[in-house]
Amino acid sequence: MEKLMSKKVKMNRRQFVKKASTTVAGASVIAAGSGTGISMFSNSASAAGNVRRDILKIPGVGKGSPTDSDWQKVGAMCLEPTKARVSKGEFNGVELTFMGLNNQNLHNFLFRGFLKPWEKYTGAKIKWIDLAQADYNARLQQSIATGTVDFDILEMGAPFEGDVCGKGLASEMPDWVKDQIDMDDYVGYLKAPVGTWNGKTYRISIDGDCHNFNYRADYFKDSGLAAAWKSEGHKGEWGVPKTWQQVQEVSKFLKGKKDPTFGGDAYGYLDPCKGWGGFGFYFLASRATAYAKHPDDPAWLFDADTMKPRVNNPAWVRAIQDVIDVLPSQPANQLNADPGTTAFQQFLAGTGSMLSWWGDVGSMAKTSDGSVVGDVVGFDILPGSDDVYNSKTGRWDTLSSGPNYAPNMAYIGWGVYVMARVDGNSKKRKAAWSAAAHIGGKDISLWASAYPSGFQPYRNSHFNINEWVAAGYDRAFIKSYLESEANSYNHPNAAIEPRIPGIFQYYSVAEDELSKIFAGKHDAQSGADNIAAAWEKLTDQIGRKKQLQLYRASLGLS
Amino acid sequence: MPFNYVGTDHIPVQRKVLGRSIILITSVLLAALFLIQLLYKSDSITFGFENWRPILYMYLLWSAALCWGVLLIKGERGQRVLFVLPAFLFTIAMVIFPLIFSVYISLHDWNLSAFEGQKFSGLDNFRALLGDAYYWNSLLNMVYYLLAIVVEYAIAFGLALLLNAQIVARKFFRVVFLLPLMLSPVAVSWMIGKSLMEYRFGPAAALARQLGWETPAFFSSTEIARISLMILDAWTFIPFMMIMLLAGLQALSKEVNEAAKIDGATGWQHFWKITFPLMLPVSITTTVIRIIFKLKLADIVINVTSGGPGGTTDTVTSFIFREYRDRSNVGYGTMMAVVYLIIIIILMTLLLKQLNRWMQKVT
Repeated sequence: MEKLMSKKVKMNRRQFVKKASTTVAGASVIAAGSGTGISMFSNSASAAGNVRRDILKIPGVGKGSPTDSDWQKVGAMCLEPTKARVSKGEFNGVELTFMGLNNQNLHNFLFRGFLKPWEKYTGAKIKWIDLAQADYNARLQQSIATGTVDFDILEMGAPFEGDVCGKGLASEMPDWVKDQIDMDDYVGYLKAPVGTWNGKTYRISIDGDCHNFNYRADYFKDSGLAAAWKSEGHKGEWGVPKTWQQVQEVSKFLKGKKDPTFGGDAYGYLDPCKGWGGFGFYFLASRATAYAKHPDDPAWLFDADTMKPRVNNPAWVRAIQDVIDVLPSQPANQLNADPGTTAFQQFLAGTGSMLSWWGDVGSMAKTSDGSVVGDVVGFDILPGSDDVYNSKTGRWDTLSSGPNYAPNMAYIGWGVYVMARVDGNSKKRKAAWSAAAHIGGKDISLWASAYPSGFQPYRNSHFNINEWVAAGYDRAFIKSYLESEANSYNHPNAAIEPRIPGIFQYYSVAEDELSKIFAGKHDAQSGADNIAAAWEKLTDQIGRKKQLQLYRASLGLS
Repeated sequence: MPFNYVGTDHIPVQRKVLGRSIILITSVLLAALFLIQLLYKSDSITFGFENWRPILYMYLLWSAALCWGVLLIKGERGQRVLFVLPAFLFTIAMVIFPLIFSVYISLHDWNLSAFEGQKFSGLDNFRALLGDAYYWNSLLNMVYYLLAIVVEYAIAFGLALLLNAQIVARKFFRVVFLLPLMLSPVAVSWMIGKSLMEYRFGPAAALARQLGWETPAFFSSTEIARISLMILDAWTFIPFMMIMLLAGLQALSKEVNEAAKIDGATGWQHFWKITFPLMLPVSITTTVIRIIFKLKLADIVINVTSGGPGGTTDTVTSFIFREYRDRSNVGYGTMMAVVYLIIIIILMTLLLKQLNRWMQKVT
């Protein structure tokens, strides 16, 4: 009895629900993906394989969330590249300030752990500025605008490069750093021009962002739901939606049904309807890209000739209308759900069956105590659309190749930047770049991709399935996850976010207006027109000519 | 004679000269440094300080010199001035100057991402504000929030009467009822708004389901969301009103109460004809302070609903917060704050005047 009790106490929530659920016991129901970006790595093993294999065992997949001691262990085991370039105690007396995030107790929390062994070895000390996601943009903008950059190393997303690198506030990356972090290993879309400005490199990528499609495979394998689908007269077989049109149909169909695994109410797609400091707009964009990003046109958010917003064109209005149409089929509190709620309190906690999100959902599904869906989750690239809006002709095109897919490269990933203020002191500059290179290292990044960190795979070497399987991942699960990421990154029609100053101001204005639309105060078209009008005003305020120039550059146009 | 000597009658001329000289020299220095820095920052001259900190130090030095100078010039009368002067100088630095600076900023088009930095735009921000539906919406919401004070007052008065009566464990309840006031509104947002009232697992939602409300979403429909926020805010601040009213009740004359009892007044008559009128001054003070608190309502709104759904719960302060923080729109955000301050000042002045007239009439 005592043994039983002790076992019960140690069981975390995810394990408890897992055991309580009889329908999923021991079975992997992840659908195998069909992408091509993975297999080429599946049999390769590098010389550094032992470190990579060993760090992936800390703490081990399915053994709960990693802690500070785990992060320190990983940091210590990945210190060799630093030791090859820095002698012990070389940075004695150097003090650096690092500004980053504290979302979900990740980001800076991990960096602290990773960098403790580095500090011990090099003698440098790091002071930390921790910011909540919602406070991040404002703090950074204020520092830039008022010339009060009080940090040496900065965790930042590529959308801010226009503000920081374009204003000469960042330090150019030395060549030895490029070698240490093996920049050639980055996936294609993270290579230049991302991370560069006027031909100079500034960024160490630590993340590769895109939204992928997370779904509950148990829903789409359930015979009861399949029978109901048929009996209600829906066309085609019951299965994972491949287009937004199907997502809509499935979401409406699921209203009133029961969750096949956890028994509560069944829900389809989960839309975050509450603002998130600008970040909430990405979720509408993920719905809109398949409608708005035409394969023949690199632009999808603004017109590339005039900077005129496209957010009120028929493609975006259709995406907004989709949300309105499906809201009655979503949980009753959806109007007050932000993206944090949809991912961590709903989808990972067992509510809803479809979700667009960054890779965190996949990396946390099996490794976070808060997740109950590790055994029943599957992944794909974002759904496509049967037709795509052509902004040049003003008509909807049906492509001969089939549905239009346009994965949303939302935020382009976090990077680490060293600020120009260290350039006057060679010792400090080397220390700052060494610290940044340590947390952006090739091996440490594999660990960060595999465990809850706030970061997702972004290097070609991250897609070696055997490494993940050796770490304890189920092969079908990890294949599905990694393929959804790789196929998004490598998609020829990927919608890449413009790196223009003030981009989050555009998003924040849109969030306010979307909130009104979803609350029924405006229809989709008039709400979208309001967003467009506010964006026009904002472009004029920031500087239309320069914005247009930067927007075109970010699209690869001259 | 030492320079810090304070005479009562005669003050030597050289002391007066010295005092005036100290004030004059430091004033000239302060003005010169300020001017140099102003010209340097506006790129009119090539020399100046990297930031405004030296001007602040000079202001502190000037303040000290001014106090000393007054002492030297005016002797004992100067000592009396010194009781007020430091506080006055502190107010200038901490209230008057920021206010003037805010008005200055509000007259600029200043978006932190703008390539050209800040530009003087006159009253453009004010004109934009007049046409801003979000601002007017949040002002209208403030009217609803203010009306809720009537209910809060009634509850607080009831609780105060209860705690003033001879009930069991009176001291215990006084402490318990005060607890919400001790919590930060941010903690209330998370503990109550985002946990207790959480749709899926919150105990309040579970209770609501038990009572027959199938979809207990406290923050998703427009009217319910506003009422929920009013309740959260009221829960935090009713204890404040209650404790003020309780203090008033305890200060009431016992003789009046006893006389009413002897005259055979009923409970209601006793309350309506005696207690309530006697409590009017305290009630008005309490309500006015509560109105001031309410006009600043923001933390709970920002944390729980972000002003949604559709701006229904937005307050002026939470909207300013979004405009300033998420959109880095410093000039416009400041204009909104300045206009709101002016509205509050006018509103409070009118309210206090009306209350004063009414009180005179009643008493």
